[in-house]
Amino acid sequence: MTPALLICAYALAVGWFLPELLAALTAPGMSARLGLTAWLTSMACVLACFAVALQYLLGAAVTGWPLLAQAICRSATGHACPPLVYRGAILEIPLSAAALGGALAATVLAWQYGRRLQRSRRRTRAHAESARITGRALTAASGTVVLDVQQPAAYCVPGRPPAIVLTAGALAVLEPAQLTAVIAHEKAHLAGGHHRLVALTRGLAAILPRVPLFTRGAAEVERLAEMRADDRAARDFGRPVLVTALLAMGTGTAIPVLALAATAQNVTARVHRLLAPPPRARHIGNGLALVTVTLLVAAGSALIARFAGPLAAHALAVP
Amino acid sequence: MRGFGDLESVVMHMVWDSCGPVTVRELFDQLSRDRSIAYTTVMSTMDNLHRKGWLARVKDGKAYQYTATASREEYSARLMREALAGGGDTEAVLTHFVAQIGGAESQVLRTVVQRLSGRRPE
Repeated sequence: MTPALLICAYALAVGWFLPELLAALTAPGMSARLGLTAWLTSMACVLACFAVALQYLLGAAVTGWPLLAQAICRSATGHACPPLVYRGAILEIPLSAAALGGALAATVLAWQYGRRLQRSRRRTRAHAESARITGRALTAASGTVVLDVQQPAAYCVPGRPPAIVLTAGALAVLEPAQLTAVIAHEKAHLAGGHHRLVALTRGLAAILPRVPLFTRGAAEVERLAEMRADDRAARDFGRPVLVTALLAMGTGTAIPVLALAATAQNVTARVHRLLAPPPRARHIGNGLALVTVTLLVAAGSALIARFAGPLAAHALAVP
Repeated sequence: MRGFGDLESVVMHMVWDSCGPVTVRELFDQLSRDRSIAYTTVMSTMDNLHRKGWLARVKDGKAYQYTATASREEYSARLMREALAGGGDTEAVLTHFVAQIGGAESQVLRTVVQRLSGRRPE
């Protein structure tokens, strides 16, 4: 019982208090990849902690009953006093109820999670197929299709095969270079498996809506995945192209790359501050902080899972 | 040669572009003008599309007459509705290049754009 409580306390503390810290560290999006790793690792750790706690609880519940039965038998034959039986029963019955309730809740949540993931995958694939049939191929070979819709939009959707979807409205406001950058951004999502991360974390947020680590984490994972894809596209096509593409799509007006490239750098800097990661000065420190936090959470989880049992035994043995 | 999925798209667009119901034979004749394709491939593709609910068909003598169950615009609109539905609420997982942005952020972007276009040297 006590080890399970210790582990749960740790998991809840991480689930409630870590999001603030992680969000502060990942907010500027300085190292999108490290940020993603930090969020995902922390979520996995908390889930693993809950699983280990449940295991302890079930273990304690199962080992308790034979002892109680023994006590009952001995009291019946007059070898032990009834209070021992009552004390055993008082401890054992709630413990078993808690273990059973925990196991039941975990099963229900896991089932809901699976259902949700399955449904979302089906809908996603259907959307990809529908887009591939309805849209016109942008070029003969690519998996990029154009929908005859005036509102500018560009997105990608995984499936077999995946589809990158652009609207006619998007084509109207994007220059060829910007269009290439947008497609590169979407391809980075597909190559990085970002949809899977988004689906997994969104699902967790849906089944555990009270745990900030999962709700806030789902939103942050989505945001960081965008930044990661931006980084990839910017690396290959340059920041001006990407920033103007973002502006053009965001406002629905054509913005030539030249407009940005030719104007003073301070304007570029402002757009960067608005839309792209801040300067690299704090990059390394931020990265180190993220790595440290991630490692601490992981190490803490491993330690508490491993030593909660002995720790609790020791604590109970002292008095 | 394009993949099978592409052929579904090509067939649908031909059905949408045609004025009335079409038969497999008519589409096959059109298609075989610019690609080498088997009649049975066209037939099974249209059969697939019928099974998936994209095409409706009625028997007319020996052949089926196919029509689209919804217009291209309706499908596009349906896709857009799903794609642009509020943030994380959609069940389909899509990643937008630029998410739908709110009033304040959009205003900031517009200001930046105005400044950019104002100074554009041309």
